[in-house]
Amino acid sequence: MRLFSLYCAFLFSVLSSSQNLDYSILTMDKALTKDANAVVRLDEMKIEILGHDHLRYKVDEVITVLNKFGNYHSTKSISFDKELKIKDLEVFIYDQLGNEIDHFNKKNFTDVSAADGFSLFNDDRVLRHKYTPISYPYTIHTSYEVETSDTGFFPPWYFLSNYRESVQKSYYEITYARSELKPEIKEHQLDGLNISKIDDPGKLVYSAAMIPAIKYEELSPSFRNIVPRLSVRMIKFNLKGEEGQVESWSDFGKWMDDKLLSGADELAPETITRVKELVEGIEDDLEKAKIIYKYVQDNTRYISVQIGIGGWKPISAINVDEVKYGDCKGLSNYTYALFKAVGVTSHYTVIYAGKDKIDFEEDFAVLQGNHAILAVPYNGTYYWIDCTSQVHPFGFVGGFTDDRKALIVTPNGGKIIKTVSYINEDNSKKTVAQYTLGKKGDIKAMVYITSEGIPYDNRFYLENETNDNVVKAYKEYWSTINNIEIKNIDISNNRDKIIFKEEVLLEAANYGTISGNRMFFTPNAFDRNTYIPNRYRNRTRSLVIDRGYSHDNDFLINLPEGYAVEAIPDNISIANEFGEYLFSIEYIAKDNTIKYKRKLFIKKGVFKKDKYKAYRDFRKETATADNSMVVLIKK
Amino acid sequence: MIKDTLLIIFLLFAVFSVKSQDYKFGKVSKEELTEKVYAKDSSAPAAVLYRSHKTRFNYLQSNGFQIITFIYERVKIYNADGFKYATVKENLFYNKGQNEHLTGLKAYTYNLVDGKIVKDKLKSSAEFKTKLNDFYNQEKFTMPNVNDGSVIEYQYSISSPFYWSIDELVLQYDIPIKKQEVSISTPEYFVFKPNIKGYLKLNPRVGSGNGKMNFINSNKQRRGNARYNYDQTELDYSTSVNTYEMIDVPALEAEPFINNINNYRSVVKYELESVKMPDSPVKNYTTTWEDVIDEIYQSQRFGGQLTQGNFFKDDLSVILADKNSDIEKTGAIFHFIQDRMNWDGYYGYYVNQGVRKAYKEKKGNTADINLMLIAMLNDAGVKSYPVLISTRENGVPMFPTREGFNYVAVYVELDKGSILLDASNKYTEPNLLPARAINWFGQVVKKDGTRKSISLIPKTVSKETLTCSLFLTEDGEITGKQRTVYSDYLAYNHRNDFNGVSDESYIKNLESKTGGIEISEFSVKNQLIIGKPITESYAFLMENQASSIGDKIYFNPLFHFATKENPFKLEERYFPIDFKYPWEEKYNISINIPEGYVIESIPESLKLELPDKMGSFLYTLKVNSTGLQVLVDIKFNNSIIPSKQYQFIKEFFNQIVQKETEQVVLSKS
Repeated sequence: MRLFSLYCAFLFSVLSSSQNLDYSILTMDKALTKDANAVVRLDEMKIEILGHDHLRYKVDEVITVLNKFGNYHSTKSISFDKELKIKDLEVFIYDQLGNEIDHFNKKNFTDVSAADGFSLFNDDRVLRHKYTPISYPYTIHTSYEVETSDTGFFPPWYFLSNYRESVQKSYYEITYARSELKPEIKEHQLDGLNISKIDDPGKLVYSAAMIPAIKYEELSPSFRNIVPRLSVRMIKFNLKGEEGQVESWSDFGKWMDDKLLSGADELAPETITRVKELVEGIEDDLEKAKIIYKYVQDNTRYISVQIGIGGWKPISAINVDEVKYGDCKGLSNYTYALFKAVGVTSHYTVIYAGKDKIDFEEDFAVLQGNHAILAVPYNGTYYWIDCTSQVHPFGFVGGFTDDRKALIVTPNGGKIIKTVSYINEDNSKKTVAQYTLGKKGDIKAMVYITSEGIPYDNRFYLENETNDNVVKAYKEYWSTINNIEIKNIDISNNRDKIIFKEEVLLEAANYGTISGNRMFFTPNAFDRNTYIPNRYRNRTRSLVIDRGYSHDNDFLINLPEGYAVEAIPDNISIANEFGEYLFSIEYIAKDNTIKYKRKLFIKKGVFKKDKYKAYRDFRKETATADNSMVVLIKK
Repeated sequence: MIKDTLLIIFLLFAVFSVKSQDYKFGKVSKEELTEKVYAKDSSAPAAVLYRSHKTRFNYLQSNGFQIITFIYERVKIYNADGFKYATVKENLFYNKGQNEHLTGLKAYTYNLVDGKIVKDKLKSSAEFKTKLNDFYNQEKFTMPNVNDGSVIEYQYSISSPFYWSIDELVLQYDIPIKKQEVSISTPEYFVFKPNIKGYLKLNPRVGSGNGKMNFINSNKQRRGNARYNYDQTELDYSTSVNTYEMIDVPALEAEPFINNINNYRSVVKYELESVKMPDSPVKNYTTTWEDVIDEIYQSQRFGGQLTQGNFFKDDLSVILADKNSDIEKTGAIFHFIQDRMNWDGYYGYYVNQGVRKAYKEKKGNTADINLMLIAMLNDAGVKSYPVLISTRENGVPMFPTREGFNYVAVYVELDKGSILLDASNKYTEPNLLPARAINWFGQVVKKDGTRKSISLIPKTVSKETLTCSLFLTEDGEITGKQRTVYSDYLAYNHRNDFNGVSDESYIKNLESKTGGIEISEFSVKNQLIIGKPITESYAFLMENQASSIGDKIYFNPLFHFATKENPFKLEERYFPIDFKYPWEEKYNISINIPEGYVIESIPESLKLELPDKMGSFLYTLKVNSTGLQVLVDIKFNNSIIPSKQYQFIKEFFNQIVQKETEQVVLSKS
């Protein structure tokens, strides 16, 4: 105790850099307002590491909101929980001249549940306050102090936190009482930043100034891979009362195994007997795993419950077995336990799920991720399964967790492994159709769609939808065909090969447009891809195509009697670094039919920013060709 | 004779009871578990097989009356989309130390395993209590072992000390209800009036019952050892019971272009009309709109605000300098308040901080701002009154309650007519209320207690008028200039959505809406001059807008302006289409064709009229010396179109799409 109070005395003698700040916008450098909806005048965090299980930090955040699009800063939300206390919370508002016009403190904040919208229960709470601005620009200064025993999740630092927001000064300071409390820091994208660093005994400081605002660009690297930021960790930490000492991912895996997973895989003897019966007579581990996974899918559902260390620790397998629901951690651990009961090895896996592919960093082991899945090693490869899905086939995780580095927990510690990837030709969609164009422009068509990879992921949900919803889905899918009537649907899902097949019989009036003696129609009735990327007058970031795909069409079109073909589009064949586009169309007079073939192949890749225009031009060309028309004329 | 009748009744009853499903808790049948799909609605992911909801009053000497509601539901889950119905939430109100409580929760999940019914009990670890905010706690539970085909059952009671306020009885869900019995029993001392809304026909069965109040008086009297003497008095009272028995209640589903879907949900609200306790006079509560309005008006937070005026006296005299007519004064005061005040995002007809403080702080809720506007107008001698409104979010008020309103705007009486004002948005104009407030009727209320119903539905047609002149080249490129004028609501929406957005972002937004267009020379006028239409103009370039094949060129004369998709795709519609305001889209495009080409064929002109002058479509194409002149005009004079006209509207848009996708053919001369 004495040591602590001495230590505090030392700290308070350090001058706060937020003193004497000029809140007026008159003195603000105009360069900061370029492309900005808000200017962060000061973003400051001063962290005191008082022990392996004791952090105290002071936050000072001064933001000038320039317009209503920056006004999300008027709502302040500060999370806390049982381990984390907030004090001295204050908010001051200044007008553009820097005069104080309003002032709030903790009393004015409301304490609400941090309901995340999908968790059944979440014991985190949020202090929230919303200020109504009376004019723009205004400046909002928020300050508070936090004290927590959790050091396992150390506050990371972003020098830039949002698009369209510049930063005048960013200041991140860590002081630590003893040398063994010194945290490790990993720097990301600090190049080109006006930054000063201090690394003195007992003190670490990163300070940056005058960071201009950046704008969002389509098909570019994710925000966290663009902006300057720091990852920070303490080798020895505490998480909700659990101690840990982690240098490497291997250590991290061990720690998770010991503290979060061990013992959670116990099952009732009856359950073990039951699952053993399920796989009786089956030798092959992969076959066993498929049966067990199907059993889990058929018998459980996803419900999120976040209590205490629940953010990281799964509910026990016994518990899940009883209620037959759980969150990603609970269901993964439950499946792991069932696998174990029948002698199948699998590894609990922590990952960043979502549309953006975010990797775990190999050289910096720290608590991260937002999802749990399972890895099943078999014959030198890994099969990945998401236990929160009741419908995905075994070994198929789709675009939610594919192609990214994740942490697998093995008995020998943790390892970083890249998940299965679905790229280029893996993502195939073939649309084959025969259709007849009637004299009034109506069509009758038989369409066959075969989807694999990501297209499979996008379409196989139809299998479990009711007929009404499937019909609605087709009306949306073929929204360019008005008056569509779905006559028959035949769907088959090959879960082993992961191929989804659709056969649709349909009719639509007025597909062809009649003007005078002519009829016009777009031969590509069923798979038009008219996407064109946004135009940027000044593209600043590289072009990222993160998966790639191949979409093929093969249509046979019967033309109406009494019409002759007046005009038909030219064949096209393009191959370039982005992929391939083939378009061929042929009129066969003896059958009065048109044979139409089209292939659109886009490759995964990262390209320099000056390639963006070429890619856009390519997509303009493919969109135009997909939309091109055949002209018929009355004989 | 009597014997025979009895026998018949007995037989009938016996037959009936054999066939009918048993809705006692726990009596889930195999048939229910094996059912694969809800017979009357195959798209239902789940259905309520049976629901009982019984509300009654209870008297406790210590606490007085309280409301006890007993809830029991049996729900069938057909597929994974229905799993969310296995999680149940109840919001429990609390105020000033008094709480609503949920008690007696009992719940089971039933599954069929190898032909046998297996049941799982809900454990207390699956129940969660959360403090939601300063008025509500929430209790939630999620059922164990739920699968495709499971049946779940739960029952619990909610007790409420707030006996004067009975929650709305919801009689229609987002999933079908096969059978429900909803009853409410109220003591003779309280007169509650049922108010019904929704599309379903409701006929409550009216009956009576009885209740009892116990009073215990303990007299501390020493009789030998310490003993108490209890005096017990009982008081019987009669109750009035309303029961709603309904079968096959369809699910309520939202449709595109709809007002608040909850307006169509079947709901009964029991509103307290009067209280007559034994030996006390009758005390009346809200019953008529007049009473509701009177109560609101009498409140210091409403009527009391209209007479406060000293704080703005000085400012007002400045504003009114050289303003003579009422109309000038109204305009000046409205713009002053609109400019000065900032809406905090909260609705309400009661002020939050009061007009005086709101004025000083330059911000407030809708009542702070609009009641202040009235106070100021009145002070200037302009006759103006509050208009009580229920926002679209709040639904259509079908019956008189204070909750039937949640918003207040301003009604001004001028010599030449009346206007509506709302200063809670920076871009409103006289007679243009924010879209949130356009909801059927509002009530103009006066101090003398009189009221007047006025329609809030805009009559003015909001127009988008586009003029474009373009050049088409042989290889299919179009370049041109266009000018679009947005009036009324279209200007209002434009200002709210885009004022403050940089030109650069706005252009990017326009370009991404029309894939492939490249915009330059962008300018916009009148964005900040409220009351005037916004004019936006720019030059554009687009490639591949025509196919040039052989010696012919084919193109759609509306290019990217064409309506290519019918917004109404579904076969049927149950609820009215609501466009919010009447609208018109008028395109005037002149096309210069490439030199050396002549026009070979053009689409025919078309004129369509919807019944009752609801709307019209005009498409004309004229050939001139340099090319073509195209005029397209879609107009809806009514903003609300009843569902029975749906087929007309759907076909109307079909024809528009058909016409607007027609092509022009040019050939080499």
